[in-house]
Amino acid sequence: MKFTVNGKDHEVEVEDDMPLLWVLRDELGITGPKYGCGIAQCGACTVHVDGVSVRSCQLAASDVDGEITTIEGLGGPGALHAVQAAWVDHQVAQCGYCQSGQIMQAASFLDLNPDPTDAQIDAAMSGNLCRCGTYPRIREAVKTAANRLKAS
Amino acid sequence: MRGLVVALLVAGSGVSAQGVTREEGLAAWNRIYAVASHPRCTNCHVGAQEVPMWEGLTYGAQARHGMGVRADSSRIGAESIPCRTCHVTAAKRAVPAPSAPQIEEAWRLPPVALDWLGESSATLCAQLRDPALNDGHEIADLVAHLTSSPFVAWGFAPGEGRSKPEGSAAEMAQDVAVWGAAGSPCQ
Repeated sequence: MKFTVNGKDHEVEVEDDMPLLWVLRDELGITGPKYGCGIAQCGACTVHVDGVSVRSCQLAASDVDGEITTIEGLGGPGALHAVQAAWVDHQVAQCGYCQSGQIMQAASFLDLNPDPTDAQIDAAMSGNLCRCGTYPRIREAVKTAANRLKAS
Repeated sequence: MRGLVVALLVAGSGVSAQGVTREEGLAAWNRIYAVASHPRCTNCHVGAQEVPMWEGLTYGAQARHGMGVRADSSRIGAESIPCRTCHVTAAKRAVPAPSAPQIEEAWRLPPVALDWLGESSATLCAQLRDPALNDGHEIADLVAHLTSSPFVAWGFAPGEGRSKPEGSAAEMAQDVAVWGAAGSPCQ
């Protein structure tokens, strides 16, 4: 089965119903996406498929229909995505486990809705849980990223 | 189609040209309403409120969809979080509750006009038989929707842990056809 992840082509032998999350983590060694619940209830596994956020624990390998982007491909230390930069500025992370999912969700959200209301930010991010309770900083970082993306 | 059927009703006999009696039409409507008012349908047929429901699971009556989701005016959540972020578009697998259901079509809410949540039999009947009130659906369109929509097919086989209406999509389609042939009686 063939996948394009972060601009690079891969071919792996996996069962059709293997969740994309396990393809990424176990087969390709891309461990930014995290396992949290396995049933699309927490958001830790969020990646992009053709730019749209997807819970990779719910998507079977054979159902992947597009190019995958993980936190590793969103931006790097030398060229952070605006959302990643805002996360650093606001020191959002505490333990960090959920944060790659949070950032991928926020990046996809701002791509679809560059000028969100506060209520839309809350709605967009409420499916991503954070047991450390970093929600106030997440909200502020999303606002900062939105402003920077609009200005750029 | 309804107007044609009505026109063809044999005056005074209550029997349509297709041989369907009014009583048979009403019986079909009652079965249709039993399905259409089931939470498996009304959880998404929520009209203008834009927030799906989670009734018919274990969350109790009048439970709204968790995670603060809003389908918004796009009906697909594009303004906040797309439905398909969790309800991935995939080959049909009857994943058990509480996993997010998935079908082979982009998850979304029905048109606002098709508001069924909490509606009475009379209101829903008046809506469904009038294309001006139901987003332009003639009886034939409703039958086609029931026989071809992945949403409807999933609703009758939603996977373990989820309640479902009685019957099947094929039976529902047959009832709608009978109801239409009888002139779409409501009472």
